[in-house]
Amino acid sequence: MSARNPGMPLDLAWVSKVRVNTQAVLKRAQQIQGRNKNKKQWQAAWLLRAVTCIDLTTLAGDDTPGNVHRLCMKATQPVRYDLLKSMDMQDKGVTTAAVCVYPSRVADAVKSLKAANSSLPVASVATGFPAGQTSLKTRLEEVRMAVEDGAMEIDIVINRTLALTGQWEGSDFIKTSTGKESVNATYPVAIVMVRAIRDYFLKTGHKVGFKPAGGIRTAKESLVWLTLMKEELGDEWLSPRLFRLGASSLLADIERQIYHHVTGRYAAYHQMPMA
Amino acid sequence: MAGITSKTIHDIFQSMEYGPSSSSTATAQAWLESHSRALGLFIDGKFVRSADRQTCNVTDSSGGPVCSTVCAVDEDASLSVSSGASGFKAWSALPCHLRAKTLLRLVSSLQRHGQCLSELCDLAQSPSSPSALVRLLQYYSGWAQLRDSLIPDWTPRGVVVVVVSDDCSLYSLMLKVLPALAMGNAVVAIPGVGTAPPVLLLAQLFVEAGLPAGVLNVVTGSVLSLGSKVAQNPHVSYVTYSGNKKDGEILCRATAGMGVPVSLSLSLGATCPFIIFESADIDSAVDGVIETAFKKNRECQWMLCVQESVWDSVVARLKVRMAGMKSVPLLAEGDRRLVDAAVQEAQQQGATLIQPCPPSSSGAAYPPTVLCGVAPSCTCVVTPSPGPLLPLLSFRSHGEGVTLGNHSPHGQAASIWTEDLTLALEAAKSLSVGAVWVNSHSVMDPSLPISGHKESGNCIDGGKEGLFQFLRPSSSPPLPRSSPASVDYSKFGTAASAAIIPEGSNSSSTPRSYLQYVGGKQCKSESGSSVCVLAPGGGTVLAHCPDGGRKDVRNAVEAAIKVQPGWMKKSPVARAQSLFSLAETLELKRRDMAVSLHSQTGLSLEKADMEVELSIAQLCDWAARCDKEKGGVPSVPQSGSALSIPEALGVVGVVLPDSSPLLSMVSLLAAAVAMGNAVIMVPSPKYPLPALEFIQVLQSSDLPGGVVSIITGGRDQLTQALANHSVIKAIWYWGSMEGCQFLQHTCASPLKSLWLHCQEKDGGRDWAQPHASLQEEMWRQAVQWKSVWIPTA
Repeated sequence: MSARNPGMPLDLAWVSKVRVNTQAVLKRAQQIQGRNKNKKQWQAAWLLRAVTCIDLTTLAGDDTPGNVHRLCMKATQPVRYDLLKSMDMQDKGVTTAAVCVYPSRVADAVKSLKAANSSLPVASVATGFPAGQTSLKTRLEEVRMAVEDGAMEIDIVINRTLALTGQWEGSDFIKTSTGKESVNATYPVAIVMVRAIRDYFLKTGHKVGFKPAGGIRTAKESLVWLTLMKEELGDEWLSPRLFRLGASSLLADIERQIYHHVTGRYAAYHQMPMA
Repeated sequence: MAGITSKTIHDIFQSMEYGPSSSSTATAQAWLESHSRALGLFIDGKFVRSADRQTCNVTDSSGGPVCSTVCAVDEDASLSVSSGASGFKAWSALPCHLRAKTLLRLVSSLQRHGQCLSELCDLAQSPSSPSALVRLLQYYSGWAQLRDSLIPDWTPRGVVVVVVSDDCSLYSLMLKVLPALAMGNAVVAIPGVGTAPPVLLLAQLFVEAGLPAGVLNVVTGSVLSLGSKVAQNPHVSYVTYSGNKKDGEILCRATAGMGVPVSLSLSLGATCPFIIFESADIDSAVDGVIETAFKKNRECQWMLCVQESVWDSVVARLKVRMAGMKSVPLLAEGDRRLVDAAVQEAQQQGATLIQPCPPSSSGAAYPPTVLCGVAPSCTCVVTPSPGPLLPLLSFRSHGEGVTLGNHSPHGQAASIWTEDLTLALEAAKSLSVGAVWVNSHSVMDPSLPISGHKESGNCIDGGKEGLFQFLRPSSSPPLPRSSPASVDYSKFGTAASAAIIPEGSNSSSTPRSYLQYVGGKQCKSESGSSVCVLAPGGGTVLAHCPDGGRKDVRNAVEAAIKVQPGWMKKSPVARAQSLFSLAETLELKRRDMAVSLHSQTGLSLEKADMEVELSIAQLCDWAARCDKEKGGVPSVPQSGSALSIPEALGVVGVVLPDSSPLLSMVSLLAAAVAMGNAVIMVPSPKYPLPALEFIQVLQSSDLPGGVVSIITGGRDQLTQALANHSVIKAIWYWGSMEGCQFLQHTCASPLKSLWLHCQEKDGGRDWAQPHASLQEEMWRQAVQWKSVWIPTA
């Protein structure tokens, strides 16, 4: 992905002028959660769109080339072919947005995808994930190595010491959290973040993407996330270019909901191919 | 529909549009079918349907038929009131806890049939949430339970008529019906077209829950004519109205002279400022605008006021948020022409538009539109057109923002947005509206009073404050019923007083000439002429007093508005001090006052002294009350704080009674002034001397000149002058039936609060009896209420 946010000189006066009214944001979050009542084909279409925004992720200490390969194959065919076919969506390029792995597994993922003839990008968390408390030198080296191994996107953990002391960094995407925190992607926090994206866009014309991560497990939640983006930022932020869902188990639930839409029956998890 | 269902998954996958929202109406349809889709009137606990009545069709949003309702005729109107009268007997005789129990039973009934009710509301285009009604019921069943222990010495009024205009919501209707029932009244409800089906369903549920027959009757038909038809019945003791201004005024005029008090809640269509200060969370504020400003059925007309420094920021966000919005259906066919004209005029005056899409060339729908940069003088601000139009005005400073919000004949509500606590509270205090929502909008709960200021009504709904419209002090008689006389309203009070001609009497008995009191100075009347004051029993001329008129009232009002804001802002302790000093001065002059009372009324000196003594006591009472009467911090279901605050009305006109001329004047003066008002008092033409003598007391007190003015002259002439001055917010009147009728007719527009008493038919209140409820009634007459909502996380 090309750097689309050239950034601007740091303006802390702007940052300090930001006002957030917590109760109004909480109310807005509730309203958004009650907003999407899509049924039938609308629900199916929105779920498929959610699939295309997923960064299918495995970030475990015991990741091996084997399970990374399974993940890559699931990413290229996230929804059972027969289900897609019955919705006439089999040839519409429904894949996840990317696969997301640790730097040491990037090479495995790139190899698996290449073998499957897929152009799906590999994203890697880098820079001392998840705490970011390593020195700048090793962090930069980590990014370089991941890129050399073929990673197209890097999820950087910012140095929160710098952020909390007001020394911010710029990016193409902002992410709610690493997914490894006690509190991860919540709607009120997301509303504040996407409004910052809007603020920056109105000021500079640069579009920054948004990636909620951590704890997003159900199809229904994915629909709320899409609604939130549509309501606050508009339809342009509903594509993988500007919106990602960082998740591992979400896809299975979405696939089951799609199964229900197609067949009218509720699926067991084992009926869906494993990631 | 074919177009919608043919959308493929791939189409939607590409467009990411929302699906159609469909909701079932099966339960409501089944209920309507059980009534053959023809709803009768609900009288005496059952549906009544006479075959020969005309009917009115209720339609859904696509114009399809939902059901029909009956257009009630005179006979139905009188039947409903006589049923109400017998219902009242049974209902008011119950102990409080049984009334409370009945209301609570309805809660469970409503929870059971909530689906049916909400579907019916949707069908009849009168959206309402059953949970809000449940909250209303729970709140008022509490008051039903506590009436006798917390509001002793007050009794229900009797049969109360609740009238709403066609565009009024079910919630606003029930906000009057339920407290009326809770206080032990019987209610005749006259709903609008859309609210009729759900109200009829509620009436049925009520009876099933054990409400005695006749306690709640529902008559449907043409709201306006039916309202006065029902009010005509001598068993009706109070009429309360909620809805738009035009219909309210018509109802007021039609019922003038019937001897029924009428109050109006004119919330619908009121212009309400939505003020965004630079210290606001702009995104959340814009969010609020999007949520409320463009709705098809909206209760008020918002006017967006934005501080110049954040203007661009607000406009940019409005553009982003409005981008995907769809056109909003207009309520009536003819509205499109009005909307086009309003937009065109705003553009001619330099306004730019924010619209998600250009309007279709014709048709009864219009895109949400912000008119950026209109001036306050533009027609779209002064008289808002229907449709989803939002005027956007700018202001420079905090003070100008508040001034802009206040510069309107309406005073319903305001929404203010700032993260600055001090600014929020200061703005809330300075806005002359009944409800201020801080960083929020349209929040409501029955525990807080809703009362429009200025032209937005003279009625308080909700809270403990709102219960008193359905009660009267047990010791004070209701307004006597009467039939409207044929009064030429344009001639009322225009006759000149009898001229005084020289009579050549000897110089030793020349009657004394008194002066009146305007703006802190003693003066003659503007006309220069005087009238005679006769000694008790008639015959001899005791004195001459000024023959005041319109110009004197004007001068008094001018003086009052100069000092009243400062008087109101003084600390209650300072006001108390002034009243105490007034009491002390009266004490010093007690002999002069007693003599004056004696020579004016013929009262024995001993009794006259007693009246002076009681007057001193009244002044002390009200001085003590200055810093005791306050609002509260009611607990509300939402998190955050809510305040209910009593505020001074402004300038009050008082036409004084003949009875106990000193005591009554001092009591009313003290009540009004203690609460921060200025008063213009018209002494009884029969006994004006004690009031004129009292001017000495006022002059040597430290009350700012202009807080109290005393103007003598013809009662009708001065009543007419008070009624025709828009600054005067309330008139307390003791006088003739005809005067009451004139005031009810005239004070419908511009609207004033009226407290009417007919001297001809009842002896009036006993001023010497210190009933707590009478003083409570007085202070409640002397204030208006403001609710401030400060939601927090």
